[in-house]
Amino acid sequence: MSKIVILGAGISGHVAASHLRRKLSKQHEVLVVSPNSNYQWIPSNIWVGIGRMKSEEILFPLAPLYKKKNIGYKQALVTTFHPEGNTESTKPYVNIKYVNGELKGKTEKVTYDYLINATGPKLAFDMTQGLNPGTNKAYSVCTYSHAEHAWHALNDLIQQMKQGKKAKILIGTGHAKSTCQGAAFEYILNVEQELRRHNVRDKAEVIWIANEYKLGDFGMDGMLLSYGNNIMKSSEMVEMVFEDRGIKWIIGAGVNKIEDGIAHYETLDGEYKSETYDFAMLIPAFSGHGFKAFDKNNTEITEKLFKGFMLVDADYTPKPYEEWSVQDWPETYQNPSYKNIFAPGIAFAPPHAISKPRVNKNGTAISPAPPRTGMPSGITAKLVADNIIDIINGKKDVHHKGSLGNMGAACIASAGYGMTKGSGVSITTYPIVPDYNKYPDTQGRQLGKTFGEIGLAGHWLKLALHYAFIYKAKMKPFWWLIPE
Amino acid sequence: MTQRISKSKRFYMMNPIVQFFKFIWLSIKIMLVVAGGHGGTRKVNN
Ligand SMILES: Cc1cc2nc3c(=O)[nH]c(=O)nc-3n(C[C@H](O)[C@H](O)[C@H](O)COP(=O)(O)OP(=O)(O)OC[C@H]3O[C@@H](n4cnc5c(N)ncnc54)[C@H](O)[C@@H]3O)c2cc1C
Repeated sequence: MSKIVILGAGISGHVAASHLRRKLSKQHEVLVVSPNSNYQWIPSNIWVGIGRMKSEEILFPLAPLYKKKNIGYKQALVTTFHPEGNTESTKPYVNIKYVNGELKGKTEKVTYDYLINATGPKLAFDMTQGLNPGTNKAYSVCTYSHAEHAWHALNDLIQQMKQGKKAKILIGTGHAKSTCQGAAFEYILNVEQELRRHNVRDKAEVIWIANEYKLGDFGMDGMLLSYGNNIMKSSEMVEMVFEDRGIKWIIGAGVNKIEDGIAHYETLDGEYKSETYDFAMLIPAFSGHGFKAFDKNNTEITEKLFKGFMLVDADYTPKPYEEWSVQDWPETYQNPSYKNIFAPGIAFAPPHAISKPRVNKNGTAISPAPPRTGMPSGITAKLVADNIIDIINGKKDVHHKGSLGNMGAACIASAGYGMTKGSGVSITTYPIVPDYNKYPDTQGRQLGKTFGEIGLAGHWLKLALHYAFIYKAKMKPFWWLIPE
Repeated sequence: MTQRISKSKRFYMMNPIVQFFKFIWLSIKIMLVVAGGHGGTRKVNN
C-alpha cells in the first residue's frame, strides 16, 4: 500500500489527485493538503472582475467531493519538508499547519511514500512597494475574492463616470519580473468592453502597462502565428486589437512602487516615470513560497529541493539567452535528489525565462518571467500521476514525459463577455517553449499549430471550456474523457 | 481610436452564423494541438 500526498488543490494538485484516485485501487491512500476550502476555476476570475459572473459560478467546496471520492483532505498549509524523515524514523514527511475549524493553528506531521508539490506560486504583492490588492486604488484578479473586490471598485468608478467623471484605468503587470500577462490582457479587453456597454467609454482613458519588450510577448518571447491567410507576429496582432479598441500602452516598464493612484516605474531606457490612475489591476510577481527542507539530522537542505520554486529534472546551469535550448526544460518534474518528490504546474523551478532577458542601464532586469498556464499545469500533473502509478505498479523508470518544449498550449483570451457581443482572442502555440533548432524560420514554433483567431467564437469557446473544466473538476461521470 | 479592423472583417468576427462554424473549426483545431500529444525533448524521435 502506498500513500501519495498532494500539496495544493489548484489546477495541478486537483488534476493529480483525481487521476490518482481513479486509477489506483482503494488500498492506496491519496491525501490532499491545501489551505483553500474551495476549488476555483481561475481563468474565469476575469469575468468575476467585470461583474459578469458570480464567484459561486466558478468555485465549489472541496471537502464533500473529496469525501465522496475517497480522497483524504486536510485544510492546511505545508510548512517544512523532511524527505529523509528524522532521527526516529526514515519515513519521509512534511509538517503542516491547519488553517480552519477546530484544528486551526495546530501542526501535524504527515508522512508519505510519494509527494506531489502542486503549491503553485506565492502571489508576491510584497515585492512591489504599496501593491496590495484593494489599497491605493490598485486591485488584482488572481483569486475570486480579489476579482470580486476589483469589480466593486470598478463598478463604483463606472457609476461616477456616468455622473460625468473622467477616469484613467491602468491594467497590466505590477512588477518588473511579473508573468501572467495573458490574464491582464484579457482583463483590459473585458474592462474596455464593459465601459462601452455602460456607455462611459468616452469618459475613460484605458492604458496597458507591462514589462514586455514588445506587445504580445506574453512571457513567451512573442510568437509568429498564422492569422487567416497571413502570417503575423503576436505583437502586430495585439497592437491591432489595442489600436482598434483605443487602448494606449506603456511597455518595457518595471513597476516598482504604488502610491494612492500613482504607479511608479522604471523603463528599459533607464528612466524613472510615473502614471496616475483612478483604477488599476496589476498582476504581482509570482515567487516560490519560501519553504525550507531538512535532512534526518534536522540540518537544512533547502537547496536540494528548492531554488525559489521546486527543483526538478531541468538543466539549471546558468547560460546566456543565445545558448538556451528546449532540452533545458524538465520532462518528468521529478526532484533529482529525492525521486519520490514531484512538482507539476507552477510549483517547479523553470531553468530560465522564455522571453529574452533585458536589463536597463541602472541594472534593473525588466522582462517577463515564464508563464505556466492552466493547460500545461494539468498535463504535467497528469503525467506525474501516471508516473507514480507506474512506479507503484513496479516499473523502474518514469516513462511519461511532457516538456514544455514538446507540448502545445491553447490560450483562449476573453476579449469581452456576451453571447452575441462577446469576443475572444484564441491563440494556440506549439511548442510552448520555442525550439529554434527545429523551427528556425518561424521563430521556434510550428506555424499552423501556432495560430490566432479573433471573434465571437472565441468567447463561446472560453465559456464552453469554463463549463467543461468545472464539470471535469467536479469529477462527474466520464470526467476523464475531457483532456487537460 | 484607430479603426484597424475593417467593417467586413468585423462583420465576420461577430456574425453568429459564421462564428458558429468557426467555433466548431476552432474546437477541432485546438483539440488537435492540445490532444496531439506531448513528450520529452532530450532523445531523438521523442
Ligand atoms: C486571473 C488569471 C487568469 C488566468 N487565465 C488563464 C487562462 O485563461 N488559461 C490558462 O490556461 N491559464 C490561465 N491562468 C493560469 C492558471 O490559472 C495557472 O496556470 C494555474 O492555476 C496553475 O495551477 P497550479 O495548480 O500550478 O497553481 P494554483 O492554481 O495557484 O494552485 C496552487 C494551490 O496550492 C495551494 N497552496 C499554496 N500554498 C500552499 C501551502 N503552503 N501548502 C499547501 N498548499 C498550498 C493553493 O491554495 C492552491 O490550491 C490564469 C491565471 C490567473 C491569475
